Amino acid sequence: MTSILAIESSCDETSAAICRHGKILSNVIANQKVHEQYGGVVPELASRAHIQNIVPVVDAALSTAKCQLSTIDAFAFTQSPGLIGSLLVGSQFAKSLALALGKPLIAVHHMQAHVLANLIDDPRPNFPFLCLTVSGGHTQIVSCESPTKMKVIGETIDDAAGEAFDKSAKLLGLPYPGGPLIDSYAQRGNPKRFQFPEPQIPGLNFSFSGLKTSILYFLQNAGKSHVYKEENIATVEEQKTFIEENFADLCASIQQRIITILLNKLKKAAIETGIKDVCIAGGVSANSALRKAFEELGKKNHWNTFIPAFEYCTDNAAMIAMTAYYKYLEKDFADLSVTVSARAKH
Amino acid sequence: MVMTYTLKQIPQTAEAFWEIASTAHVIAFHGKMGSGKTTFIHALCDARNVKDVVGSPTFSIINEYLFSENNKQKKIFHIDLYRLKDEQEALQAGVEDCLYSDHICLVEWPERIPSLLPNDTLHVFIEPVDTKTRKLRIGDN
Repeated sequence: MTSILAIESSCDETSAAICRHGKILSNVIANQKVHEQYGGVVPELASRAHIQNIVPVVDAALSTAKCQLSTIDAFAFTQSPGLIGSLLVGSQFAKSLALALGKPLIAVHHMQAHVLANLIDDPRPNFPFLCLTVSGGHTQIVSCESPTKMKVIGETIDDAAGEAFDKSAKLLGLPYPGGPLIDSYAQRGNPKRFQFPEPQIPGLNFSFSGLKTSILYFLQNAGKSHVYKEENIATVEEQKTFIEENFADLCASIQQRIITILLNKLKKAAIETGIKDVCIAGGVSANSALRKAFEELGKKNHWNTFIPAFEYCTDNAAMIAMTAYYKYLEKDFADLSVTVSARAKH
Repeated sequence: MVMTYTLKQIPQTAEAFWEIASTAHVIAFHGKMGSGKTTFIHALCDARNVKDVVGSPTFSIINEYLFSENNKQKKIFHIDLYRLKDEQEALQAGVEDCLYSDHICLVEWPERIPSLLPNDTLHVFIEPVDTKTRKLRIGDN
């Protein structure tokens, strides 16, 4: 029985997980609970907070899994992409454990792990499958032939989908991160009320910055037009009233457009590749309207659709552990000289 | 120094920009949301033959791109401070390490860190003229 301890520290969250023979035994993400016993708080954003979090998080992952450090067969960490200072904390910690205990080290690509989050629980997709990974920092369509063989066939050329949600929310006056707020307000709105343009990007790539600009002008013009002209700009008072009076419809319409941009490309990818097992992953897959639209699209096109449990959609170490398990089976180990990278190379 | 360009003219504008900014090391891009900062930086990276995918670093804060010039491998840091509240958070995210490295830094939302920016930072201001046209000004404020 192979046991793997994995650490994820690519961005804001510090997380550790234990996987035994492809089954997740624990998945701990630094939060208030972990910190309560240490009397600290979690800073909203601080890569150096990883240093404070990592020991309690790893301890909690081991104790939840009822597992001793000495029984771990390999140590895994997120190698790229991410914030370099944050990645370094996880990689140094994993390297130190591997060196001290004389066990193999496994370097994992964060985006590959998001895709493989779909293999954590049943039902699981059959290979080959497609995965749309959508988060605050990433938007990708990946074609996946095996756990260790996958290819990015489409990605964003500017903003990520989660960023499109958060920045639209900001334009509507919502606090950051506003994506989840848009989701809840949109449930009372009419998604067909306002039309926002769909970008004409060739192939399977995405673009969201044009949509953001179009929303900006639309709000500045108090809904009278999508174009920028100084004489069109409404007074601050008019803009405020327009947003207030149409708030739910604006949220629903913006959300609807972001979702159709995502799903139209996913549909195109499914047609081009002929693949019928289709997944979504990443933090934005928590969006209720996206989940619903994705499942409806899947039904219409006779796809088998898959969405990981929410705790495996946002950044987490369980997906790193799962990916590491498949790399372990292929004996794809890293040596201690391996370095982390901020670059999103595939 | 003012440059006015449409989306189609961005590649030439980026080339011309690099001629003016050839010695600049940290370039700060000021402009409201949707003014086209990321889009212009994308074009600047294309002009330097960056092969990495140039995206928005709003979530990741710092993106790192490689390009080669005179057979040497060089690096561009694309920094986006939108998500940060103050200079303290920028320090914790490792922004200072990039700003005082030997690499080119293209910084969005520089207003968040006025006193962290090196003295010789080149400040650039982008604003819309109409839907497809932008005005870019190089200057002190």
